Amino acid sequence: MAWAAVVALLAALGVHAWRTRRTVGALERRLATARRELEALQQAFERFAPAEVVEHVIAEGVSARSEKKEITVLFADLQGFTELGEGLAPADLVTILNGYFERMSRAIVEHRGYVSKFLGDGILALFGALDANPWQTNDAIHAALAMRRTLADYNATLAAAGRPALAMGVGVHRGPVVAGLIGSEGLMEYDVIGRTVNVASRVERLTRTHGVDILVTEATRAALDGRFRLRPMPPVAVKGIADALPTFAVEGFDGGATAP
Amino acid sequence: MTAPAVTAEMEWEETLLPAGSVPAELEAEVRRQFGAVPSWVARVAPAPWVVRAWATMVTQPVAHLPPGIGDLAALVVSQDNSCRYCFGAQRAVLRMLGYREAYIARLERDFHVAELSDAERAALDFARRMSRADPRPARAERERLAQVGFTAPAVAELAFVAAAIVFANRAATLLALPPDPLEQMVDRPLVRLLRPVIARRMRSKPRRPEPLPEPNEGPFASVVAALEGSPAAGVLRRAIDGALASPVLPRRTKMLLFAVVARALGCTRTESEMRAALALESLGTADVEGILATLASSRLDARETRLVPFARETVRYHRIAAVQRRMREVARGLEPAEIVETVGLLALANAVCRLSVLLDAA
Repeated sequence: MAWAAVVALLAALGVHAWRTRRTVGALERRLATARRELEALQQAFERFAPAEVVEHVIAEGVSARSEKKEITVLFADLQGFTELGEGLAPADLVTILNGYFERMSRAIVEHRGYVSKFLGDGILALFGALDANPWQTNDAIHAALAMRRTLADYNATLAAAGRPALAMGVGVHRGPVVAGLIGSEGLMEYDVIGRTVNVASRVERLTRTHGVDILVTEATRAALDGRFRLRPMPPVAVKGIADALPTFAVEGFDGGATAP
Repeated sequence: MTAPAVTAEMEWEETLLPAGSVPAELEAEVRRQFGAVPSWVARVAPAPWVVRAWATMVTQPVAHLPPGIGDLAALVVSQDNSCRYCFGAQRAVLRMLGYREAYIARLERDFHVAELSDAERAALDFARRMSRADPRPARAERERLAQVGFTAPAVAELAFVAAAIVFANRAATLLALPPDPLEQMVDRPLVRLLRPVIARRMRSKPRRPEPLPEPNEGPFASVVAALEGSPAAGVLRRAIDGALASPVLPRRTKMLLFAVVARALGCTRTESEMRAALALESLGTADVEGILATLASSRLDARETRLVPFARETVRYHRIAAVQRRMREVARGLEPAEIVETVGLLALANAVCRLSVLLDAA
């Protein structure tokens, strides 16, 4: 009788151990899956904010942590796109615009830039914002030249499909910004704020005034590789800036086809 | 998650160089250092100084750092650099040393929540910040380590261990080394049976403090001097001297690669030192400034024209496959010895420039 009880107890313990082991196994597998997902998420986030910021958010939650840094801001906008859009079917308009964003984003990322946001038909790209980059200004102008070449190719594709050509203006300025997680509780993003961003936007608008596609400020020119061919433009008064703003049109690069 | 599952998800390209023969004398040197000959030796042998530097730097030549911290730091830094080779190998080393799989997995997941002492956690945090170097760890961060019980020589050794892993990570990544056989070996029944014995042999033993190497002259003498009292000082001096004495690439090319990495890491001390050294190589101040500002110059030879802009890409990389593909492009047409020496120099430059935080005042 006692033996039977011992055997029954052992059997029960065995079953319990087996079930526990199975449960632990299942939990470990779920944990492993969750970990893979978390790592993928972390890697994905690191494309949108510096690794240190992502880590801080994971460890301590979203906070108003910010820092001042010197970056190069590239602002690109399509010229006359609103009027162009009025003559196109909405689906065609979106297809053309998405094709443009896709190509321009690739040109920016290939030159170590970070596409911060799309604003209507505009693009705000940052260089030196996610990683320290002493060559940020050269990278930005190489990106702008790549955008020029890419747009020419895209226009050829559009023309072959019987679609209208696009025209783009690019403004580049280098200066200090405040970078951090900015937004509301419901919508927050890694962003930069400051006069530098506004100046880049104003300079982009001056491309229409001067009839060129890429314009840079004096601060940008001062940090640039001398092999970029620049043409000085007459200073123009712009909103929010006391003195007339001198700018330079970027004509090309004399250092070969490939950017460093 | 098992080790193969973790590493299988890591991006990694085909290896750059085939395994070649290793001179018997070099093999014997490595065997004395490691107790065995790691698989990477046969691919790195074309530039013997790289083999010697790697073998001596990663075996933790430390006298003041508490035992065990270096092994954990090696895992954390390798993971942070997404170095598939070093991460897999270090994982296997930890298992061989007796760390449980679940513990290693917790470390990988987030060492902030793993069962670690405050000192261990602070040390791993510092090692990772050394590796990222964006921004460079400030003096205050070294002082925080002092608050949790690290002596100044132990902090310097921790910085050295992190820099040594940065060296190994870059060397292994740029050469896209295939997984180390140790990863498979650790699960073999016989190895599991003998694990305690193997672990005893593998465990890095604290060494005795050593005076600064004599002479400590030439480039980076001040970085070496910051390791005074540690055997790491001599190891670093010999690695630097070996790199500079190697006849494969000209001294000027070596200095240029160091200068570009220094510029990328904001290491003004190393950059100034390299400017002075380049002046002796008939590159004037304006030439060097032009090269560092633009990564190009008509003064560069054909090989430097390829290597100099590539140097910046070895400092921080988000996509392993992208930097490995670029390395392959840069290596096209170069001899194996030139490839390995380039990789070794870039790895050493990354290590030395990071280690120079020990000299930063603020």
